[in-house]
Amino acid sequence: MSAALLLALPIAMFALLAVCWPLRHTGRFAGMLSAAVAVACFGIAVALFASGRSELYEYPWLVRSGHVIASVGWRLDPTSASMLIVVTAVAACVQIYSLGYLSHEPPKDLGRYFAWQSLFIFAMVGLVVAPNLLQLVGCWELVGLCSYLLIGYWWRKPSAGKAAVKAVWVTRFADIGLMTGIVVLYGATGGFAWDHVLAPQVATAVAALLFVGVMGKSAQMPLHVWLPDAMEGPTPVSALLHAATMVAAGVYLVVRAWPIFHAAPDVLVVMSWVGGVTAFTAACIALVQTDIKKVLAYSTCSQLGYMIAGLGSGEMLGGYLHLTTHAFFKALLFLAAGSVIHATGTNDIREMGGLWRKAPWTAGLFGAGTLALAGIPGFAGFFSKDLLLEELFEAGRYGPLVLCLAGAGLTAFYMTRVMCLVFSGEQKERVHHAHESPFVMLAPMLFLSVPAVAAGWFAGPFAERLGLEYHFSVTPVGGIATIFALGGVGLGVARYGIGQLTWLAWPAAATFLASAPVDRLWAAAWRQGLLPFARAAGWFDRYVVDGLINLSGWVALEGGERLRLLQTGKVRDYVYAAVVGVVLLAAWGAMQ
Amino acid sequence: MTLHAVLIVAALMFCIGLFGVLTRRSLVSVVLSVELMANAANINLVAFSRFGNHPWGQAMALFAIALTVAEVVVGLALVILIARTHGSTDADVPSALKG
Repeated sequence: MSAALLLALPIAMFALLAVCWPLRHTGRFAGMLSAAVAVACFGIAVALFASGRSELYEYPWLVRSGHVIASVGWRLDPTSASMLIVVTAVAACVQIYSLGYLSHEPPKDLGRYFAWQSLFIFAMVGLVVAPNLLQLVGCWELVGLCSYLLIGYWWRKPSAGKAAVKAVWVTRFADIGLMTGIVVLYGATGGFAWDHVLAPQVATAVAALLFVGVMGKSAQMPLHVWLPDAMEGPTPVSALLHAATMVAAGVYLVVRAWPIFHAAPDVLVVMSWVGGVTAFTAACIALVQTDIKKVLAYSTCSQLGYMIAGLGSGEMLGGYLHLTTHAFFKALLFLAAGSVIHATGTNDIREMGGLWRKAPWTAGLFGAGTLALAGIPGFAGFFSKDLLLEELFEAGRYGPLVLCLAGAGLTAFYMTRVMCLVFSGEQKERVHHAHESPFVMLAPMLFLSVPAVAAGWFAGPFAERLGLEYHFSVTPVGGIATIFALGGVGLGVARYGIGQLTWLAWPAAATFLASAPVDRLWAAAWRQGLLPFARAAGWFDRYVVDGLINLSGWVALEGGERLRLLQTGKVRDYVYAAVVGVVLLAAWGAMQ
Repeated sequence: MTLHAVLIVAALMFCIGLFGVLTRRSLVSVVLSVELMANAANINLVAFSRFGNHPWGQAMALFAIALTVAEVVVGLALVILIARTHGSTDADVPSALKG
């Protein structure tokens, strides 16, 4: 068994669904097949991780005169093996869950959905096991494509199409940085490997450029604007792509290219600040959202900010650990939110309330995810966030640390707000007809709730496997974070559960911080900057590039039109021409 | 009789032939004129052979005469064909090559 199987199975599934349309159009059966493949992938990933094997296979892809320019293949090491488990576990859960969540979809659309889900697993696995930056970027674009396709799954809805296009625009814009960084890296080392020793200036340039791409993919301020809109896709898609795996690809890139980033301390400082600002601001925006998925989307931005900030401290473990725990509990939260939406038929948390009587399992699972996300001691999010904050403290990044600590309190508060508004209180009209989700949806959530609750306890062995060390210890920073988290939960319950402290209404200040200004800025930049540029480029192409080609065609046509007059078709004229030619030749010969 | 006189006769014959080719409209006359030009060349060959005391020129002339016969056959066949398709032997009537 090898990592190749993890690449081959999903792409074979995708090819089967893409080519064999009668199978695709069965919808439900195609979905079951695809889900079975995803589960098999999860099994393989677990077996690979358990075996602790390292594998490196590189197939020379671009070869010029014996020199390998680029290669593709797979690199299996503790980092990629652990990430593979995260990806395949969440993917398998999401696919099984989708069978229930999308059971009312037309079979044709459902088949299409599962084809793309399989393609996504392939792309994400390819990204995780990439042996060099070139393959990583190729798969990076492929997951971006899957993101576009799956956000636009309900493409008949104009907002879904626009959201899909927006996601592409923003991430592509950031990818300019990524591409440039890779070109600079190639220029400096003649390859795409990330473990070369680089000169400090080169490392700084490459790391800074790569980080621009990371900001786009991992939705860091101010490039986060696409992620909330991406919630137009089906909820399982949001859970898999826009919470657990794809948006974490940016963080994973930093983890993989750690030698480059580690050699660029200036970039690390910028990273911790960008991460801190994102963690705090996105948490502020999440406070005022009324769409349950938007709350979780901004929460994802915020948590990705934590990861980036943690990596910015110069230590890798905290950020990476938070990536893995976050993947589990945020996927759980999204699936539970999907269950809520499935039950009530609305995304608006103001129309919900008292749902826990109708859907106790969903309520319990959402609660477990909330506790993990809020960083309540004992749950997964606590350990990773604690470690991350401790790393920031030890690196002396006090500014980002304060932002992250404040964000921790806000996180607990806004999640409690959602819990209280959705599950407690009196039942609103929508909730009267609500029902608990079927087992096919609850089972994946139950499965995910295990790591969401308990993953933190295995941080020690996990770190050991990565060749790092982790010991849990009670520290002042962790204490403050815990107090903030508990305080956030307490205030949230007081405000939204009991109905006290109504002055905690988060008025103008929070709304001002809401995404609208940033969003408008980008919209203006797009409309005033990019579109005119595109128009100018289009004009240049149409009238200058095409013009030159058309001119050459016109010259040939017109020239032919003129020259045809010489052809009279009369025999004697040709004879005259021959005689004149002979005379001229004779004259020329006489002059020689 | 000098070489000069013979060459002048040949040149005159060639010019008459060329004049005929360029001016006559009847294709039969054109073929005749071409014959005239070919025989002017033959006269040159024979003249150089006679005054240069070398038999090759005469041999060449014989070959040329034989070839000219073949050429005339082909030329007249073409003329007949044109006459059949166009109903006339006027050189200006066939104008399929007109641009």
